[in-house]
Amino acid sequence: MANLSGKYAIVGVGTSRFGKLQGVSTMGFTLEASKRAIVDSGLSHTDIDGVLVMMPAIMGEQHGWAARVAAYLGIEPTFSATMDMGGATACGSVQTAIAAIDAGYCRSVLCCFATQNWPQGVVMQLFGSEFQVPYGDVGAITLMAHIKRRQQHEYGYTDEHYGQIAVTWREHALLNPDAQMKKPMTLDAYMNSRWVAEPLRLFDCCPNTDGGGACIVTSVEHARDLPKRPARILGAGQSHSSEIIHPRGNDGDHWGGKKAAAMAFGMAGLTPQDIDVAQFYDAFTPRVIHDLVAYGFCNPDEVGVFIDAGNLRLTGSLPSNTAGGLISEGHLSGFGHIREGVRQLRGECGPRQVKDAEFCLVTGYGGAPHEAPPTVSYSALVLAR
Amino acid sequence: MFALEKPLPRPTEDSAPYWEAAREGELRMQRCSDCGHIRFPPAALCARCLSETLEWVKLSGRGTVFSWIVVHQSQHPAFNADTPYNVTIVELEEGPRLHTHLVECTNEHIHIGMPVEVIFLRINDEVTLPKFRPRELPQRLATC
Repeated sequence: MANLSGKYAIVGVGTSRFGKLQGVSTMGFTLEASKRAIVDSGLSHTDIDGVLVMMPAIMGEQHGWAARVAAYLGIEPTFSATMDMGGATACGSVQTAIAAIDAGYCRSVLCCFATQNWPQGVVMQLFGSEFQVPYGDVGAITLMAHIKRRQQHEYGYTDEHYGQIAVTWREHALLNPDAQMKKPMTLDAYMNSRWVAEPLRLFDCCPNTDGGGACIVTSVEHARDLPKRPARILGAGQSHSSEIIHPRGNDGDHWGGKKAAAMAFGMAGLTPQDIDVAQFYDAFTPRVIHDLVAYGFCNPDEVGVFIDAGNLRLTGSLPSNTAGGLISEGHLSGFGHIREGVRQLRGECGPRQVKDAEFCLVTGYGGAPHEAPPTVSYSALVLAR
Repeated sequence: MFALEKPLPRPTEDSAPYWEAAREGELRMQRCSDCGHIRFPPAALCARCLSETLEWVKLSGRGTVFSWIVVHQSQHPAFNADTPYNVTIVELEEGPRLHTHLVECTNEHIHIGMPVEVIFLRINDEVTLPKFRPRELPQRLATC
């Protein structure tokens, strides 16, 4: 696996308009984000011969979605798939892209997604299992509340620790003119925010976002002819587990991202201490605590001190979610994280730029926490300038 | 006025014996006849050894609270009137964990490790939901 490290790069990134934007279709956002990423890369759309698209949420049966995206973009791919790892898809699709290019299936791959939370012509379907929904246990929020409960029970994290994550992300979002959340947030405001599912507060949660994102993957060799500095893909990893609710074997350990971390850092030949800037998949604040431990930045009992010391801020040792994350920039399913990571490595981030950022970690998380058994997917990329 | 009904289980061939047992006032789960693993949710094969040979066994109905949350903002309109309500994960003595409601107990008294036992709440002729209550009487409220 290590022979793929550094051979491929992300050469273009883009996001569509995003926020509360009813009236734009899922396809419309997908095309807008994809065109921006293609233009950003300097490639022509006819240079792209691979298309990977995240399965749109709440869309029902949509056969051939990725091929339809390709058709609208005037691309006739030789490799295409609609991928379904929830919020782990963004990093996972980049990992799939490098494998497909290395196999010779295609040369340059568009990875993209979009969400319209109120799509036309779609019958809303309640998701969830017969063993959870009858108890009013519906959606991802309840699982995330259980995860926060267990984290606090086992390691004594206080609500202030979670609140400081949310407050830090908001500070970063205020330096991002595109961010969905535009008002300052204090720790008091976090502590006074209402329960959604106790112990999860409103400000532990990201907003619903309509919008899309995209990136372009090609070989480093091919990237030499392109105008912008490539973000080399040094490492990629993924893992899938159901350890939160259904322990297997002896794992009293529910840091399921550890395997993805070991794969990504192992392939990159780097350690967490080498990372200059991180983009953690943060649909909810407990996810950030998970990733700080699973990806090797802290031991579980060090997380609180690490956060208290301001390490996640732009001025800290591990500036993270520098555009505001899902929680304050908006829920771009991890494509915003890839876009921000690449731009940090290019030095394009203006007032929120991390000086001399050389190595960036991007994580993803998703799957079916609301189905039985609750199954989650973890993915990660280590990118380099 | 139109009242949205709470979604109820629609059993499959894998899950029907679980719901049938609940109607009869028993908590039964699948035990692998080859490796002895007790699994939940019900499935056609054992994830430990892939055996398809199984038996349904009666469990003790006893366990402890593994986690609990209190839903304040319902994600389904049929549950709006119930808020705030708990969703509790119980770890059974035999190992499996399941999602349920803790009843006969105020939310303030729930804690991780709390000993609980199953009771059965009949919804209609087809569906009875297993729920749990504290095993220790001082923590239990009178049923209302």
